[in-house]
Amino acid sequence: MSGARGDIVVEAIGVEKRFGDNHVLKGIDFIARRGEVTCILGASGGGKSTFLRCINHLESIDGGELLVDGQLVGYREANGKLYEMRERETAERRARIGMVFQQFNLFAHLTILENVMQPQIVVKKRSRAEARDTAIELLERVGLGDKLTAYPRELSGGQQQRTAIARTLAMKPRLILFDEPTSALDPELVGEVLDVMRDLAASGMTMIVVTHEIGFAREVADQIAFFDDGRLVETAPPQEFLTSPSTERARNFLRKVLS
Amino acid sequence: MTVNRTGSVAVRRGTTMEVVPLKHYGRLAGAIVAIAAVLAMLWVFASSRNVDWGAVIAYLPNADILSGLLITLELTVLAMALGAVLGTVLAVMRLSTNPVLQTVSTTYVWFVRSIPQLVQILFWFNIALFIPMLSIGGWSVSTNVLVTPIVAATLGLGLNEAAYMSEIVRAGILAIDPGQREAASALGYRPGQIMGRIVLPQAMRVIIPPSSNEVIGMLKATSLVSVIGAADLLTRAQSISSSNFKVIELLFVASFWYIVATTLASIGQYYLEKRFSAGSRDLRRPAKLRTETEQ
Repeated sequence: MSGARGDIVVEAIGVEKRFGDNHVLKGIDFIARRGEVTCILGASGGGKSTFLRCINHLESIDGGELLVDGQLVGYREANGKLYEMRERETAERRARIGMVFQQFNLFAHLTILENVMQPQIVVKKRSRAEARDTAIELLERVGLGDKLTAYPRELSGGQQQRTAIARTLAMKPRLILFDEPTSALDPELVGEVLDVMRDLAASGMTMIVVTHEIGFAREVADQIAFFDDGRLVETAPPQEFLTSPSTERARNFLRKVLS
Repeated sequence: MTVNRTGSVAVRRGTTMEVVPLKHYGRLAGAIVAIAAVLAMLWVFASSRNVDWGAVIAYLPNADILSGLLITLELTVLAMALGAVLGTVLAVMRLSTNPVLQTVSTTYVWFVRSIPQLVQILFWFNIALFIPMLSIGGWSVSTNVLVTPIVAATLGLGLNEAAYMSEIVRAGILAIDPGQREAASALGYRPGQIMGRIVLPQAMRVIIPPSSNEVIGMLKATSLVSVIGAADLLTRAQSISSSNFKVIELLFVASFWYIVATTLASIGQYYLEKRFSAGSRDLRRPAKLRTETEQ
């Protein structure tokens, strides 16, 4: 990772998103800095996941600007307009942004080892040997060194999610987006995934995490971004947000989730 | 009426009782009838004085028959290759977001599926009546020189097959969870890589069983080309029987080789399914080897 801690990694300026008549994001202004962990909280349907998916252009945006490392993702600016890029060009920029999904989305036809190897070979053009070494090292780091030849369906949800994190790390991303990484897990498996994420945060990875795990947010986050009804209502350090939120909506939300 | 169940259980407790399975008399009767029918059929064939079994055996390795078999296999491979490649292209077109490509693909499938295969083969065979000369740049050639019976048969069978294969491939692609594509794009795969590395390899296990059916169907559909004299297995058998009048014998000879070919195709299917079942629990054990000759 290049760049100093504190540099701006993600910058959103007035981001707008509509699905037909549904106005999902209503002018989001947001900043995430290098080495910071941002937890995005909010009720379902508030636009959290959509915003996350706009950051790596899995969703297009209808207005505003979204910069990662000062560069647009999926768009090119010319004559005061944003032109959508071709998929191939977008792919290059996306490779620098990791993403971990709620449903893990491991490649079902590949073993755990191949899941972590293949993207390095296909996207990063690394040699098989190099990809293999990196994959084994990362899988050992997330505690799956003994599962290399297993297929995703043979693993628990927690093991699959840890593999997905290793797969993302293998691409040496500048930041990682987590889209409700523990929401599809059985309660007893949530801890092992959060442990891996905690280690990542401690290693200085820039992370943006959409989550319902208030405890994780309190302990690990540098800032909490609270979304409600398509707006980024409040951004604050966790202690401040969780104890004395400044908006009525945030107070209502916290009352529901903390009771 | 109420029964005191606890009471009766208490009485029985302590004694071990014999368990008598239900007797399936119907199944037994069915089996006997089926065996009798099969034996009767075999007897009719084996004892018939109208079938010269010696001739059947003698013609099995006949050079003309074997060269006909080779043509049949060649046609099957060529037509299936054309069908599979064009079918995949049509499927990708149909699933694209471009409405023009979608419509072209849909129309092709509708049009080709609406016309009997035999008509299509005859059309390609007679294409010269419609387009007598083909020319590219300064170079031109008579269509009749280019469109031999084999070419006409390959086009007629392959272009028709593409319509069916496109539906099979489309079903296979649609069976893949969209999350797989999403994960690949988030990792930086380009669209072609997503299709080639992630979607199609997984779609294969959905695509293979119906495609094998198509291969087996094609093996037999090639017999349609006897109408344009493409010298396939059936054409060869018929031309021999038209001179020696051993019609039934030569149909048996042809059938024997069709059975051998479809059996080999079924075995191929078994191993292909096994190869592409990696990572899927339900298909770790592919369907039992069967010699499928329906359609």
